Amino acid sequence: MSTTAKVVSESFKPALIIPWVTIGIIAYFCLPWLALEYGLTDATFDEFVDALAWRKNGATIVVPFFFLMFLIAPRLVRSGIQCGWLYTCLSAFFILATFAYFITENLSMGLGTAVILLAFSALFAIGIAEIGFQRGDRFIAGSVIFVILLVCVFIFFPIWTIFQTLLYNSDGSFAPFQFYQIVTAFGVGRVILNTLLLAMSVGAATTLFGLIFALYSTRATSPLRYVIRVFYILPIITPPFVVGMALILLFGRAGMINDGLMFLFGPEGILLQGAFTRSGYIYGFWGIFLAQTLSLTPIAYMVLNGMLATINPAMEEAALTMRAGRWETLRDVTLPLLRPGIANAFLLCMISSAADFGNPLVLGGDYDVLSTEIYFSIAGAQLDFAKASALGVLLLVLSLSVFVIQKKWVGQKSYVTVTGVQTAGNVIPLPGRLQKILSAFVLVWLLLVGILYFSIFLGGFVKQWGADYTLTIAHHKELWLGGFASGAWPSFINSLIFAFIAAPITALIGILIAYIISRKKFFGKGIIDFGTVLIFAIPGTVTGVAYILAFNTPPVELTGTAAILIITMAIRAMPVGIRGGMSALSQISESLEEASVLQRAGSLKTIRSVLIPLIRSTIVSSTAYSFIRSMTTVSAVIFLATAGTNVATTYILSRVESGDTGIAVAYGSILILTMLLFTLAVEVITGRSRVEKQVKTI
Amino acid sequence: MKPGETNITITLSKVFKRFDEVTALEDINVVFEAGTLTTLLGPSGCGKTTLLRIVSGLETVSGGEILFGNENVTDLSATRRDVGMVFQSYALFPHMTVEQNVGYGLGVLKTPQEKIKEQVKVVLDMVNLAGYQARYPDELSGGQQQRVAVARALILEPKVLLFDEPLSNIDSKLRRSMREEIRHLQKSTGITSIYVTHDQSEALAVSDEVVVMKDGRILQKGPPRSLYHRPESAFVANFIGESNVVEALLVNGTDGNRVELGGIELALPDSMHIPAKPGMVKLSLRPEVIHIEAKSDDKDPDCLAGIVTESAYMGPVIEYSVKTAIGDLFTRGPAYETQHLKGEQVRVRVRPDEIIVIPASSE
Ligand SMILES: Nc1ncnc2c1ncn2[C@@H]1O[C@H](COP(=O)(O)OP(=O)(O)O)[C@@H](O)[C@H]1O
Ligand SMILES: [Mg+2]
Repeated sequence: MSTTAKVVSESFKPALIIPWVTIGIIAYFCLPWLALEYGLTDATFDEFVDALAWRKNGATIVVPFFFLMFLIAPRLVRSGIQCGWLYTCLSAFFILATFAYFITENLSMGLGTAVILLAFSALFAIGIAEIGFQRGDRFIAGSVIFVILLVCVFIFFPIWTIFQTLLYNSDGSFAPFQFYQIVTAFGVGRVILNTLLLAMSVGAATTLFGLIFALYSTRATSPLRYVIRVFYILPIITPPFVVGMALILLFGRAGMINDGLMFLFGPEGILLQGAFTRSGYIYGFWGIFLAQTLSLTPIAYMVLNGMLATINPAMEEAALTMRAGRWETLRDVTLPLLRPGIANAFLLCMISSAADFGNPLVLGGDYDVLSTEIYFSIAGAQLDFAKASALGVLLLVLSLSVFVIQKKWVGQKSYVTVTGVQTAGNVIPLPGRLQKILSAFVLVWLLLVGILYFSIFLGGFVKQWGADYTLTIAHHKELWLGGFASGAWPSFINSLIFAFIAAPITALIGILIAYIISRKKFFGKGIIDFGTVLIFAIPGTVTGVAYILAFNTPPVELTGTAAILIITMAIRAMPVGIRGGMSALSQISESLEEASVLQRAGSLKTIRSVLIPLIRSTIVSSTAYSFIRSMTTVSAVIFLATAGTNVATTYILSRVESGDTGIAVAYGSILILTMLLFTLAVEVITGRSRVEKQVKTI
Repeated sequence: MKPGETNITITLSKVFKRFDEVTALEDINVVFEAGTLTTLLGPSGCGKTTLLRIVSGLETVSGGEILFGNENVTDLSATRRDVGMVFQSYALFPHMTVEQNVGYGLGVLKTPQEKIKEQVKVVLDMVNLAGYQARYPDELSGGQQQRVAVARALILEPKVLLFDEPLSNIDSKLRRSMREEIRHLQKSTGITSIYVTHDQSEALAVSDEVVVMKDGRILQKGPPRSLYHRPESAFVANFIGESNVVEALLVNGTDGNRVELGGIELALPDSMHIPAKPGMVKLSLRPEVIHIEAKSDDKDPDCLAGIVTESAYMGPVIEYSVKTAIGDLFTRGPAYETQHLKGEQVRVRVRPDEIIVIPASSE
């Protein structure tokens, strides 16, 4: 503890613990102590009653007594500090004992146990606050404990189970060389090489193109530059594999381009008969490369555009006044200043490429990369968890090391880089000839993107792409008009509900984490810092494997439930909230909070009355983007979704795999459209409020 | 809020503060007398803000104790310390009106709305901002924002008032009147106040006592006059007012003390306090004790020979830099005299009765 342990808070009242004690006791009597076989919503009343603590095991009767001890404790001790110690020890003991009980008995915790443990964690926080942690600030102490628990249960523990799977055989004996045996048993070198080669190529290509677009949108004089703004919205609303699907429509075996080439050069073509046969060239490296480059260039663009905006135009003007031409200025001043941004964009896109799962899945062909290999080792009948873990570790290490390099390189900024700041005017225009070349390039690119999206929408309305281009609404009919229990509806509704629950939770927790990281200092903060790094760096497929391994067995058994999907979505979307919170808080001077504290306000009041009004729009936008992200995520949820908890993206992918491309793109196009409308609605609603403009001037 | 009611003494003993590697404060022992305004003066980075924040409770100490009156508040959080603070950036809540800003703390204490309105009005009157209740901070000038910040700090009638460079964001014309107002408010409320500044003239003008700091340590504490006339170190002599610090030989003769410098001898008045033993000492010569005269043929044993190296007309005065045997001396001459030009040979006369001998032990 950084602060001295001597604070006696005069405001301590035993009444503070009553809500938590009440919640705990209610949970004890009314919520299942043990996990229900078929989940809470599907259990019968008898099953439910049977799972209650007092029915299950007489020994659990100590729980309410534990709670009662908290009520009695203040009367047994002389000072607040002693009481704090008592609370801390009691609750810590109870939490540890509960875990030990469930682990040794090999039982799964029910919702009631979770609530009881939460109540005890709150009491623990009250206890350590009383001892002096966070200078007696219970809200902050509670938040810190909560975040640490969250990180331990949903990040560290699942990752640890991956390692555990590798260290122990399936029969439980210690097998230190298992990892080595697994990765040498098949061509893992090739898979790693494939992943790296792809990631580097995509990183380089996206950075180059992102740079072109960034320069173009800030420095070109042509009106085309305004169109580039769509880059802000497209990658957000497009599920990651949809670009891959669109490429299949265009370049696939039965794609438009193949058809066209057949028409010209095929065996019965009108030119050079027999010079061309149908080919699956799009499947493999070039297909994934193209898909990822198309979908990740916007990210590179946003990073570099943000960087360009921070370059003071005066520096470029200075170069110009020293008789440097516009070319020289660009080469000798602008680009060197952009160097950190370039490195950042490259590394960020590299991580995203290695973590991408959807595009390699639909376009991979024989080109196997880590993320798809992981999936294939447990999808279907194989169920080789050890292999999936081994590959997962490799992917995690790869992405973590790139992330750490990136964080070192650009320091704290890595949190805020992707927010994309608009540039002010008054910058040096591009050299004339360069602008012409770039205009052509941008035009071709935008045209390609336009055709891609158009083909997705068209694909949903033709009978059989490649064979029969008759327009039809059959696909959409099957999806949307078969009643709410069939077609797309169950998965669509699941997606909406899960994302709707996950979004506000993840946004608030993300912002809370940002607040703790940026504003608080305490012993043990390293845990939260490291957890945050993992949240940012862990690829979705690794999360998927880890969650299957971690939450499929006691003491926490969640697979097959809606809860695990909601939790996964929340964890996957958490970077949105953290990033948003970081950049919002970095604009608010800490002295505002200090001024509030000096006006006798506690931290809860300060957050409520000072911080939240100032970051309201960040909360709204983080929630909105978390929602969208949860709707479009695929890599982790594909491991966890079951027949009953299918979501939109997993449903679409399953239709792709069974060859129903028409259905898949029809659904995909509606998903994109929904997200687009939602995004526009959010933009309109939030707008730029008066308050936010004021914050900028602080 | 009447004088004397809230008076308490603030005592810091053996306080030190480390930030990871940096030691921001070292062995601070100081008493801020009840009802006085004390300024913390020192160059940027010397630890003034840190000291102020430690008193407020916003920063914890790494060691040592803080007493408010007889109460040990070292481990009390800022919320419970009962201090008011005016931040360098004012830290007004941008989403609240002046009334909401000033009344915020009363709201926290669950004061009824009408009562808040009433009290806000009283305090706004005190800072000459009557009628500004409904404005937002961004609709106010810098000086008005500053007054709101002062009003907010005052409204809870704190035991201690803290100011962190409150005038640094105000243009220089307004600064003079603002500092008078702050001084007036402090006197009329009698709240023990600590005021941070790096501007020595501001410090001399507003304070009962000045604490001079350097590199996380307190060098000297005293009323403005004593700091000016009896600096205990070359640093203080240089920092408070202007000063030429020169080396000289202190001789304790039968007829009293004298100093030898650059070949001349100056007898020091018997009444002068001499905090050093005979031998080589440092002297501080204020510009106002150095006079330059046109060179003439008759030799004056009390004068140094010098050459004007800089000569700048400043309106009411002319500023000179003169090269002499004891080093470059900075001084001023009245503008109504003929200006000595650069390169001119001059005589430099030092008035012995206002020479300051710097204690031997100082840096
Ligand atoms: N929060 C902090 N973390 C690390 N170092 C700090 C922090 N606050 C102040 N310091 C360091 O402590 C020293 C004193 O700073 P400060 O009190 O702000 O000086 P002043 O207000 O006199 O300019 C400086 O070296 C500064 O860098
Ligand atoms: Mg300062």
